[in-house]
Amino acid sequence: MFARRRPLWKRLLRWIIYAAVLAFFLFPIFWIFMTSIKSASEYMHSPPIWFPAAPDLSSFRRAVEVGGLDAMRNSIIVSSVSTLLALLVGSFAAYGLARYEVGGENLPFFFLSQRFLPPVVVIFPFLLMFKTLRWIDTYQALIVVYLTFNLPYTIWMMRSFFKEIPREIEESALVDGASAVGAFWHVALPLAVPGLIATGIFCFIFSWSEFFFGLTLTNIRATPLSVFLPGLFGKQMIMWGEVGALSVMAVVPLFVLSFLVQRFLVRGLTMGAVK
Amino acid sequence: MVAPCLRHQVGRHHQKALWCCVATSTAQERTGRIGGRWTPWLFVAPSLAIVVAVTIFPTLYSLYLSFFRWEPTLADKPFIGFGNYQELFSTGRFVNALAVTALITIVGVALELAVGFWFADFVLADRRGQRLVVALMLLPVMVMPVVVGYTWRLLWDAAYGPINQILGWILLRPVEYTWLGQTSTALLAIIVTEVWQWTPFMFLILYAGMSTLDGEIYEAAEIDGAGTWQQFWRMTVPLMLPIVIVAVLIRAVDSIKMFDVIYTLTGGAPGTSTETASYYIYQVGYQFFRLGYGAAASIVLLLILSVLLTFLLRALRSRMA
Amino acid sequence: MQFRTFRKYAALVLVGSFVLLAMTQCAPAAAPAPAAEQPAAAQTGPAATVEDSCTNAVEQAKQFAGSTINVVWESGLQPEDPKVFGPKFTELTGVNVTIVEIPYVDMYTKQLQDYVTGGGAYDVLTLAPIWLKDLVNAGALEPLNPYIDKYMNKADLDDYLDVYGSDGYARIGDTWYGLPDDGDVFVMYYRKDLFADPGNQEEFKAKFGYELAPPKTYQEFDDIGRFFTEKYSAEGIYGGAFQHLEGQAWDWFVGPFSGAGGQFFDTETMDATINSAAGVKVLSDMVKASEWMPPGVQKWGFTEVLSAWLDGKLAMIITWPPVGRWSEGIGKGTDQLSWVPETKVVGNVGYAPEPGGRSALAGGFALGVSPNSQNKDAAYLFAQWMNCPATSLERVMLPFALRDPFRKSHFASEEYKALWPTAGEYLQTLESAAMQGQLELGIPGGREYMVALDQAITAAYAGADPQAALDEAAGKFNAITDRLGRDTQKEAYSQWLQGQWAQPGPKQ
Repeated sequence: MFARRRPLWKRLLRWIIYAAVLAFFLFPIFWIFMTSIKSASEYMHSPPIWFPAAPDLSSFRRAVEVGGLDAMRNSIIVSSVSTLLALLVGSFAAYGLARYEVGGENLPFFFLSQRFLPPVVVIFPFLLMFKTLRWIDTYQALIVVYLTFNLPYTIWMMRSFFKEIPREIEESALVDGASAVGAFWHVALPLAVPGLIATGIFCFIFSWSEFFFGLTLTNIRATPLSVFLPGLFGKQMIMWGEVGALSVMAVVPLFVLSFLVQRFLVRGLTMGAVK
Repeated sequence: MVAPCLRHQVGRHHQKALWCCVATSTAQERTGRIGGRWTPWLFVAPSLAIVVAVTIFPTLYSLYLSFFRWEPTLADKPFIGFGNYQELFSTGRFVNALAVTALITIVGVALELAVGFWFADFVLADRRGQRLVVALMLLPVMVMPVVVGYTWRLLWDAAYGPINQILGWILLRPVEYTWLGQTSTALLAIIVTEVWQWTPFMFLILYAGMSTLDGEIYEAAEIDGAGTWQQFWRMTVPLMLPIVIVAVLIRAVDSIKMFDVIYTLTGGAPGTSTETASYYIYQVGYQFFRLGYGAAASIVLLLILSVLLTFLLRALRSRMA
Repeated sequence: MQFRTFRKYAALVLVGSFVLLAMTQCAPAAAPAPAAEQPAAAQTGPAATVEDSCTNAVEQAKQFAGSTINVVWESGLQPEDPKVFGPKFTELTGVNVTIVEIPYVDMYTKQLQDYVTGGGAYDVLTLAPIWLKDLVNAGALEPLNPYIDKYMNKADLDDYLDVYGSDGYARIGDTWYGLPDDGDVFVMYYRKDLFADPGNQEEFKAKFGYELAPPKTYQEFDDIGRFFTEKYSAEGIYGGAFQHLEGQAWDWFVGPFSGAGGQFFDTETMDATINSAAGVKVLSDMVKASEWMPPGVQKWGFTEVLSAWLDGKLAMIITWPPVGRWSEGIGKGTDQLSWVPETKVVGNVGYAPEPGGRSALAGGFALGVSPNSQNKDAAYLFAQWMNCPATSLERVMLPFALRDPFRKSHFASEEYKALWPTAGEYLQTLESAAMQGQLELGIPGGREYMVALDQAITAAYAGADPQAALDEAAGKFNAITDRLGRDTQKEAYSQWLQGQWAQPGPKQ
């Protein structure tokens, strides 16, 4: 599109529309932050109060007291390890797919299709399998289970990143005597670091936000943040303030990460369909 | 070729790492690699093993479970053939869940597409401030779905939520409607919530796609007398169609799996009228511990999803080519 | 894809699956026994009578000092109680106590799942009477008799208010599976000042033809509620409210249904009779009553009802006992209660049984022990200590606790009666309501049945025809019955009905 001079009323209209749309999309986020700093009498108030009289951080304190930080720690551990594992194993496979065209055209799409698996399909077998392995309510259970998404996703993304690296560099390494795996590890992977970062962040975001498996496979020891939050809705109480505080704790890390990966955002979201 | 080698291998070794007559493969020739015959498959082997263990095998196990009555409070776990499947379709509750899922998906994705498309076009018309807009539109997608659900639950609340308050200001009379209390408006609330979170997803994709469009063709069209509307429908849309298809299908598949928002926003109420397929399976299969029945329902869901998935993969394939 | 490639993948998949399937089948399917050794059984003297359960629990628990027990508790405000007493126990005995908070709707599932999957995450369990049969059938509760014999002063068992110590609450026959720990019963709180106001009395009498007094029947409840709403809604005050939120809405059906003589099942055929004339009338009445309740009541949970009540906005509410304590401003200013609104109704609260003829014994908790626990004795001793007369009295008097009086000694306590001027009346109402109370359905699958009922109720609140909604619920009931075995259910039901507090019919 090309810019052109517009009459004033059109420019004004434009700003109004911008404001309205952005207001709609940012309002709930604003509400989360406000709720987390309101006092109890303010967040249970009708009609609702928009701005607290004085910011009150006691919700955060209480959220931590009931174990919010532990849940956050669990989320960090499980998300990070699952992401790293996926990146390692996945980029390894992606390299094979990109460079050697292993499995022709079908194997990549086979991997990709796994990303769309509904969690409900595998939860019942997982319950039984993990019971046998005594893995219920452990980190490893979640880490492995998150691979159902992270691995196919990583393979798919890294494959397209690898394809963008010119072959010449690896070929010269091979000519110099490097093994195929060596070429991958010492040449291709370092060059694909931006792709690794982008893919890794998306895997982390998925793992962090994941709810269903966390809900069904954990009890007390490995509860992630996403499952801890609903725990604040008791039979005789909904602790909205703590919910607000935990929500803030849950979204801020992702906000930060997403800024870091803006460049690759669209590619990551559409799995490379749009670059 | 690769295929004949594999057929040979599987019959003899029951292994996943397969050595292959790579020397005769065209891929090998193309890349000019020399590494061992088994090297290419070595790369893929660990992932393949994990995928089989973590996805394929459990899916088959699920299928196997679906033919049994498996409940911990019952002494035996008998084989009941298609009994679970019959029960699934005899009460109408599962079918209702599928219908609700379809409704939310179709309406939601359509709205996300429409609004996303419109807004992308709007933003691109004048590029000032675009970086900021894109950065801000990123945020809803990054919010944990559980948080999205609880936040909107508070927003929709009849007495404590600002939506009624704002409506009251607009309509100049107090509004105290319980949005989540009626099926129709609860479904509306769910759709709005989903649209809120995922329109930015559509927007970002379409924005990225449209920003690569060549401005010159639009100038030419302008000179030829085509209005903005015509330009949009006859030029933008066809050019963006491949991307749109991919985006829509990704969203559709993800929307069908919807669980977190239902759990937090309505819990399936009133009655069971806002249950989606995944939520129903969770309630009956997990909360009531009817593993066999839950497995059957999830297999049905998987089959439905596979149909959609085939279209998605084909679209991606043609786009990748 | 090409058939060759398809065959290749299919082969891979099948082979891999069989390999893995074989691997998992080798492992035992049953829940594995705890791997670690059990601590050596406690050494006690000859089976002498225990004088004081409280001190004896502490004494005996000291030998387990250093171990940790995980205690399941309902999340939200409930854990404030064990969070105070847990550390006390640790101080006294050296046993570490970790409180595990679980939302009410998940408690049954999580505890059962932990047992079935051999997780071993919990030592002390919390059970509600409605889950008792199912948990026992699954083997998920440790029978407590050996521990009671060893550690408890048996007189304490008699100290439970009859209803809470009855068959089916926390024990089946002579086997105790839990120590009843919470006297949950619905009572009606009403605004004495609004009822006593002469202007109100006159107007009401003129309009309806009888004296304005705490309602006994649902019709009276409806009349009075309507009256107050009409008169005061302009000022933001309504006739009353109770929880309509999905998940628990069914608890407000149980009392009136029993009061109307309604039965869940036909004793001969075990067909569901929830959709009988009585059931439809009760549900229609509940829907009708919603008309004069505050807007948005359809999604009101405990917090909303409580807030509105403490804010002085309701003339009547039907809810659990803790609200009575909070209404009097006991313990305001403590950190745990910072979310509770300032009470504006101090001194104006009256107590009465639930209108409709029976008070529902809604909820109720007992403390049990997990068979998978590595520290069963320590777990039991903690439960006994929390539950013993002295400690439990402290707990039920706590301002921020949600545990309600459940022992005869609680109801007789002078200390309790001194908490506020009308505390004696309060205790009396709780006791009589409980003694005439109606138990929740205590047969296998109880929870599942109630979920189906809850769905019918929320559908009716949203506008569905009550008869149609209950017909659908009855269909679901019958499907559950058939699945669990009609004959076994029939036997369980008729056995349950023999209990004094299970039999339907008006009693107040």
